[in-house]
Amino acid sequence: MSRPAPGNRRSTKSEYIETDTGNKISRKAHIEGKPNIMLGGRTVIMAGVTMRGDLQRKQERPADGSESAAADKVSSTAITIGRGTIISTNTTIRPPMRSSRGSGPTFYPLRIGDNVFVGPGSHISALSVSSNVHVGAGCVLAPFSIVKEHCRILPGTVVPPAMVVPPGSVVAGKPGRVVGEVGEGWGQGGGGEGEEWVEGGDLRALVRKVR
Amino acid sequence: MAAPFPYTHYACPCSSSSGPVISKRASQLEPDEDQETFNPHDPRAAYSLYPLDHLLFCDECSQIRCPKCVNDEIINWFCPSCLFEVPSSAVRSENNRCSRNCYNCPSCSSPLHVTQVEKQDDGMLKPGDGRTGDEAYLLFCQYCDWTTLDIGVQFSRPTKITEQLNKARKARYTVQQPDSEDADKTVSKQLRNHDDAFDRLSVFYTEQMDETGESGNSWGSAYGSPANLARIMSLYGGLTHGALKKSREKPQPMREAAGEEEGLATYSPSDQDMDEETLQKMQTRGWDETASEEQALSTPANYGARFKDELWPAATTLRTKRGKRCRTCRQFIIRPEPKSGSARYRIRIIAHNNIPRLSLRPLHPIGPVQNPSFVMKSDHAYKDPILQPLSAQQFVLTLRNPIFETVKISLATPATTPGRVASRVTILCPSFEIGPAGDVWDEALSSSTSTIRPSDGGRSAAMASLTGTAEGEKQPEAGKIWEKTRNSTSVILEIVPGSLRPTSSIGLRDDEVKETVEEAEDDDVLEIPIYVRAEWTVDVHGEKGGEKEPKELGYWCVLGVGRIAA
Ligand SMILES: [Zn+2]
Ligand SMILES: [Zn+2]
Ligand SMILES: [Zn+2]
Ligand SMILES: [Zn+2]
Repeated sequence: MSRPAPGNRRSTKSEYIETDTGNKISRKAHIEGKPNIMLGGRTVIMAGVTMRGDLQRKQERPADGSESAAADKVSSTAITIGRGTIISTNTTIRPPMRSSRGSGPTFYPLRIGDNVFVGPGSHISALSVSSNVHVGAGCVLAPFSIVKEHCRILPGTVVPPAMVVPPGSVVAGKPGRVVGEVGEGWGQGGGGEGEEWVEGGDLRALVRKVR
Repeated sequence: MAAPFPYTHYACPCSSSSGPVISKRASQLEPDEDQETFNPHDPRAAYSLYPLDHLLFCDECSQIRCPKCVNDEIINWFCPSCLFEVPSSAVRSENNRCSRNCYNCPSCSSPLHVTQVEKQDDGMLKPGDGRTGDEAYLLFCQYCDWTTLDIGVQFSRPTKITEQLNKARKARYTVQQPDSEDADKTVSKQLRNHDDAFDRLSVFYTEQMDETGESGNSWGSAYGSPANLARIMSLYGGLTHGALKKSREKPQPMREAAGEEEGLATYSPSDQDMDEETLQKMQTRGWDETASEEQALSTPANYGARFKDELWPAATTLRTKRGKRCRTCRQFIIRPEPKSGSARYRIRIIAHNNIPRLSLRPLHPIGPVQNPSFVMKSDHAYKDPILQPLSAQQFVLTLRNPIFETVKISLATPATTPGRVASRVTILCPSFEIGPAGDVWDEALSSSTSTIRPSDGGRSAAMASLTGTAEGEKQPEAGKIWEKTRNSTSVILEIVPGSLRPTSSIGLRDDEVKETVEEAEDDDVLEIPIYVRAEWTVDVHGEKGGEKEPKELGYWCVLGVGRIAA
């Protein structure tokens, strides 16, 4: 938040490393496989966040060892996060995995859109979380779940594996069910001068406040 | 109230207690004259208050529209799981459910998935590497581990699951028992299947209609035709000669279903055995094996289910995309893009872009302002703001203008809030102007500069001197606006929260207080009703400098401030 609690302040260097594109990454985040992670810019990765970029899709037969296979491996992105997205403290982002016969586990790329807010202590293993989605604190988006645009996942929800959440849904419960629809004005406003940011809205103003 | 403090809820004028208000011009809506003060603690208030993102606006009627004063119109039906659009002609025959391979777990409602299992020669189920053994498929719940094996069903191929399921169900409920207790039992067992009973009844009544010469092609429309109406009239008195004759010609106009073959399930002594069986099963298997009510209601196939092993997968229920029309002028104010995966709109007129919106914040916040939706650290738990009773507190009320014209605002609020706990409220500057909203670029540029806040100390003082305002701390003053940006104006609101404890010092009638010592839920919530009236002018033909047409809009808002300390 804007003003850290008195005891919390780091005197020497700021908590966040800011990249050229304005991403803010906490020094206290655990990020593995950095080359396989794409951040869209003005995105915040907070303290205690674990990102498993090392879990990228591997070739079916690694024994082949051909150059094309190696090139493929380099280009495979494990985690893609859009612009103005906030990943709150102690959240884990782990690409979903499926075991196929013979070739062992295969990881699938995980995509998170723009202006997505993920509350603290969540676990994201979804295939995709589209833009303007608000995920409350302590949620689980189980492997291969797909959350479409403008959804609101209430705190403590467990979205079951491979569930597809249609656009504009409100999801709650364990297992998560669609319990309602967001209003037509979802995500409107906010981010303006001195204005409160709103769920599902533009999060740039909130991103600016993180320091 | 579930919303976090401070919040603003807007009242839709359609539910205002005085009926003809909607048709009146806004200028006639003097809150203190012919309209009573909006009472947020009124049990009815909850039905007319909405957060802004749920409110629409009709530009024809120049009025706020809420879910109660719009008509929904279904644009299409789609399956939320495969996002496949279902043509309206097929929706009814498929019982509003997806007829593709989408099923939900009858035990926990999560989506089910087709999973392959391989049977080895030893009969064990385990993952293999080759194509040995015969392939089998299951519907599998990855959330609670339920599989169709729990009901003894597996599939020979991963497609056409619906077909295979139906077959399996038929096979299961029409097993001809070899012993003598025979066909009867089979039928009654089948009748426990809701769909089956329905089908039989439907067939029976259709036949009846045909036999009695009724022309209706389905019994559902039996009372639609004039002939039927005449027959009904004749049955219930008013017998004309012709009708009497007609009814005599047909001695048996219609009878009801009379047997199990016809779909009537009756109690028979043989059912007693089944009851015994059920009781036995309950005793041996225990509570955990019985189906809950929710599970039994998951799909019509499960209506009679008593045990978990009778639960059938539930085909995913369809969802709809709906357009919304103004109930008064019938124009579309919401029209979504028909594509099921899309979140776009073709028409979307929302209150957010058409009415001035209010927000409240404390003038001297104690600690950072928290928005519980955006708590980013687990240890920063959100707490409702607590207000000290009987001590004056100042808040900044900001109104933002989404309209492209300068808007004149007048605010009105009762001096003391309605409800059991009376708090005093004063708006230091109740009428002012707000500048016009600009385009997106203006907005983007202005939002890159931070707000000037008097509590920022030296920096704000420097800013204040730059902008030409007086140095040092700004003092709230009656009749003066607090701060102003291009399209927002802030004023100071002074609140003296009432006391929850009955005291005579705050001027409440003693008898009233003593009667209601018992505290009702949310009595401690301080909510302030405010009537907002906005006036502006628009160019008549969209051309600048031409004729101006006055416009006005009035509505009630409720500001949720916090909870009053006990
Ligand atoms: Zn309404
Ligand atoms: Zn489907
Ligand atoms: Zn389940
Ligand atoms: Zn209208």
